[in-house]
Amino acid sequence: MFVHAGLVLSIMVIAFIVAKWAKVTTELSMAVAALAGALFHTKGIPVRHLVEGSFNYFDVCLIFITATFFMNILKESGAVTFMVRSIVSRFFKHRYLCLLLLTIVMLVPGAITGSGAATVFTVGTLVGTVLTCMGISPNRTAAIIFLCAAMSAAAPPINLWAMMAAAGSNMPYVGFTKPLLVLSVVGALLSMFILGARGKQVDLQSALAELPESPTDMNWFKVGLPFFVLFALVAAGRIWPFSMPIVGLPLMFILASITALLVSPHKLRVVEIASETIHSLIPLVGIMVVVGMLIQIMALSGARGLISLGVVTLPLSVLFVTLWLILPVSEGLLQYAVAPLLGVPLILLFNMKGMEPVIALSAMATMWPLGDCLPPTAVVGRATVMELKFKGSYTKDFLKTCLVPIALILLMCTLFLVFSNELAFLVG
Amino acid sequence: MTFLNILINASYYVLSAAVSLILIRNIIKTRDAQEAVLYCIILMPFLLRVFHIK
Repeated sequence: MFVHAGLVLSIMVIAFIVAKWAKVTTELSMAVAALAGALFHTKGIPVRHLVEGSFNYFDVCLIFITATFFMNILKESGAVTFMVRSIVSRFFKHRYLCLLLLTIVMLVPGAITGSGAATVFTVGTLVGTVLTCMGISPNRTAAIIFLCAAMSAAAPPINLWAMMAAAGSNMPYVGFTKPLLVLSVVGALLSMFILGARGKQVDLQSALAELPESPTDMNWFKVGLPFFVLFALVAAGRIWPFSMPIVGLPLMFILASITALLVSPHKLRVVEIASETIHSLIPLVGIMVVVGMLIQIMALSGARGLISLGVVTLPLSVLFVTLWLILPVSEGLLQYAVAPLLGVPLILLFNMKGMEPVIALSAMATMWPLGDCLPPTAVVGRATVMELKFKGSYTKDFLKTCLVPIALILLMCTLFLVFSNELAFLVG
Repeated sequence: MTFLNILINASYYVLSAAVSLILIRNIIKTRDAQEAVLYCIILMPFLLRVFHIK
C-alpha cells in the first residue's frame, strides 16, 4: 500500500516537473500531474473523481470572483482614487497618520477578496505613487506594496489558506477574525513603518498631479454606501440568525456591487468589468479548481495519506524550527495547493498535540502569503513589480528589501504557533 | 422566508450562468491555447451547476 501510494506520488511529481519544464503554466502542470496520477492508479480516466474534485473549492471560487468584481466596480467608479486623493489632501502634513491610513487602504481589497494580487491591481499603483512622493525609494515602495498586499490576503474575513485548510480538516471557519486581524495588521504596519518611516513630507502638488483624477461628483457617501450594504448584510445574519435567510458571501458581494453601480457618478461597462475580472482571476480560480482535482486523486490513490503520515510523525520541535521556511517556500512552489496538502495534516497534528488549532492555522495562514514573492510562481511579487513598473533587479533589489519585515512577520507567526494555547483568548 | 430562500437559491444559479457566459466569451476571445484549456477546466463545474447535474 505504501509502495503504491509512493509510486503514485512520484509519478505526479515527475509529471508536474516535466510539464513545467515544457513551459506549461503551473495550473495546467498540476492538472497534468492529477491526470498522470489518476491514469496510473485507476488504469483509466476517473471522470467522476475529477469532476468531484473540481467542486471542492467551488464556493471559495464564487466568493473570490464576486469579491474581486465588487472591488473592480469600486475602482472603475473612481471610489478608490477618491479615497487615496482625499487621504493625501487631508493628511499630507502628518507623515505617520498618512502611512497608517494608506496601510488601511492597502488592507481592504485583499481582506474582502482573499487575494494579494487584487490589492496590487486595485490600489497598488495609487498607493505606490503616494509613497514615491513621500521620498521613499523605488525598492522600498515595491517592497511595501508587496508586503501590505500579502498581509491583506491574510487579513479576515477571507483568508483562502485558512478556509481551504479548515474545509479539508472538517473544521468550521469560525473564530479566525481576531487572530488573523492581529497578525495581518501588525505585519502590515511593521512593513509600512520599517520601510517607509523615513523620508520627506508629501509633496501635495506633485502627488495630486501624479494620481488619476476622481469624478467630480464622487463623495464619501457614494464610497461608503456599498461597504455599508456589505457589512449590514453580514451583520444582519449574525444579529438575527433565525429570521434572516442565509444569503451567502457571493450574493452579498453582488448586492454590494449593484449598490456601487447605482451610486456610481458615471455609467460603468459592467460586462467589460466582469470579463476583465474573470481574466485577471484565471490563474487563481484555475489553480483552485485544479488543486481540488489533484487533492481528490491524491486522496483516491493514498498519496495524500502518505504525505499526511509523513507530516504527523514529525516532532513538534522540528516543525517549529522549520515551518517558517517550509511554508513560504512551498507557497512559492505550489501556491494555494499547499493549504490542503500541508495545512490539513499539520492542523490535525497540532490539534492532536493539544495546541489551539485556530491560532495555529491563523499563524500558518499568515506565513503562506509571504511566499507569493518567491519563484517559481511569485504571483503577487511579479504583479507588484509589473504594476509599479519597477526597474531594479527582482532578487537583489526587491526581494532583498523585503527580507527584514518578512523575517519579523515570520518570527511573530512562529511565536503564535509556539504559544497558541496562551493566545487562545483571541479565538473568543 | 421560503420565497426568499427560493429566490437566493435561484440567484446562485443565475450567478453561475453569468460566470459561465463570461468564461465562454473569454474562451472565444483568447489566442493563448494554454489559457483556453484552463478556461475550459474552470468552466466545467460552473456548467454542471447551471444544468443542475452537480
